Amino acid sequence: MDINNQVAIVTGGASGLGADTVRALAAKGAKVAVLDLNLDLAKTIADEVGGLAVKVDVADGDSVEAALATVKAELGTARIVMNVAGIGIGRKITNKKGPHPLDSFLKVVNVNLTGTFDVCRLASTEMIALDPLNEDGERGVFVNVASIFGYDGPVGNTAYAASKAGVIGMTLPMARDLAPYGIRVMTICPGVFDTPLAKAETGQEGFNRLIATVPFPKRGGNPKDFAKLACHIVENTMMNGECIRIDGAMRMGLMI
Amino acid sequence: MNLDNVSVVITGGASGLGAGAAKLFIDKGAKVAIFDRNLDLAQTTATELGCAAVQCDVADETSVIAALAQAGEINGTPRILVNCAGIDITGRTATKGGPQPREALTQQIAVNLTGTFNICRFGADAIRKLDNLEGEEQGVIVNVASIAGLDGPFGQTAYAATKAAVIGMTLPMARDLSAYGIRVVTIAPGVFNTPLAASVLRGEPDDYAGSVPFPKRAGKPAEFASMAVEICQNPMLNGEVIRLDGALRG
Repeated sequence: MDINNQVAIVTGGASGLGADTVRALAAKGAKVAVLDLNLDLAKTIADEVGGLAVKVDVADGDSVEAALATVKAELGTARIVMNVAGIGIGRKITNKKGPHPLDSFLKVVNVNLTGTFDVCRLASTEMIALDPLNEDGERGVFVNVASIFGYDGPVGNTAYAASKAGVIGMTLPMARDLAPYGIRVMTICPGVFDTPLAKAETGQEGFNRLIATVPFPKRGGNPKDFAKLACHIVENTMMNGECIRIDGAMRMGLMI
Repeated sequence: MNLDNVSVVITGGASGLGAGAAKLFIDKGAKVAIFDRNLDLAQTTATELGCAAVQCDVADETSVIAALAQAGEINGTPRILVNCAGIDITGRTATKGGPQPREALTQQIAVNLTGTFNICRFGADAIRKLDNLEGEEQGVIVNVASIAGLDGPFGQTAYAATKAAVIGMTLPMARDLSAYGIRVVTIAPGVFNTPLAASVLRGEPDDYAGSVPFPKRAGKPAEFASMAVEICQNPMLNGEVIRLDGALRG
């Protein structure tokens, strides 16, 4: 799909991977809606690219419905939806303090997994009503964001890994569900990227320790590289139902 | 890696996916040498695209060494290696007619697996000896497996084995070469519109595309090429195998 002039939604678009994805899509001519829990930050990015800032809590169904309605009213129905919003916590399944609290587990699952599902089910329903774009009958594309932790999760990441493995697992059946409508579903599994989320989890010292284990390039990923791959996925119609690791060949070891 | 003026080798470049890749790499400003066992076809394609043609049997070590040297003389030492050369000999493991001939496997190993390994080891060794480029990256290898290496259909045991092996080499090779700033990424294509697919499917690849969820057609070599270029340009992609198949599972 040609990105130019399409309406695009980026959840978690106010910072990190999402913010650079917003910039990359806008640079290719998309009309971008920046959906984020932090409306002030979303406005900063949206103003930068002439996009639309919309507050959303992806874990709250009403909030997602309202945000999508705002996008539709202001920009039109999105054909490109990137689910970048996500949170993480570090906690072992049990430790001296006792078992992993269920509420923090569910909070991560609600944002990362249910939030992604919710945006996909509502946005795809709107997309189906659109006319196809090209001779392939393409109507839209979803790019979901999982994590290499969904494959090889380190200590203290049961909740996060479960939520991201859930996103990986949804990819193929969702692509199959939406294929008759010309809607593609792809997932990107980032390794360690230089983002506020990664550093909040690891601290600078942990971040440095982690990137020392990346084979090549030996550094945190640049969000621009993530954004470039995300745009490539939109532009390459043959990409569907696949999860792509972007991690400098890193496989996560035991510890962060 | 910036592709402008970079020396690129594309094996199996005379036709199909390889020729598609050659066209796009040339468009991006790279200096391309297409390697093929069939020199006549390679020259025809090369003349059409405006690049170099080199005779190479990837299964033959001597031929690989000579071809890489020749590409080096024409375009400079290759920093990007795209391994598209491959063959597909169909046949069931056992039928009324008896067991599948051993050669079905050994011939495909020679081209699909050993051939890829040969280009990688000699090509990477040459990159290793080059003066470092500015920036972190020194080279990129794009190998071509197949979704048959992950979910192989009937009649493809031998082919699937060789392509699964290419998939298996990806991570350890990326780890081996990380110290030299060389990345290794594998593309696993589904059904593409190529002469190889047409011969295996005994018909037009598009006729077979009914089982592809979306897009409901065979892939275009230009789409394969676009993925290969993205891999070369995106420094964070390494050690990964990427399906390019319209969500087809065999």
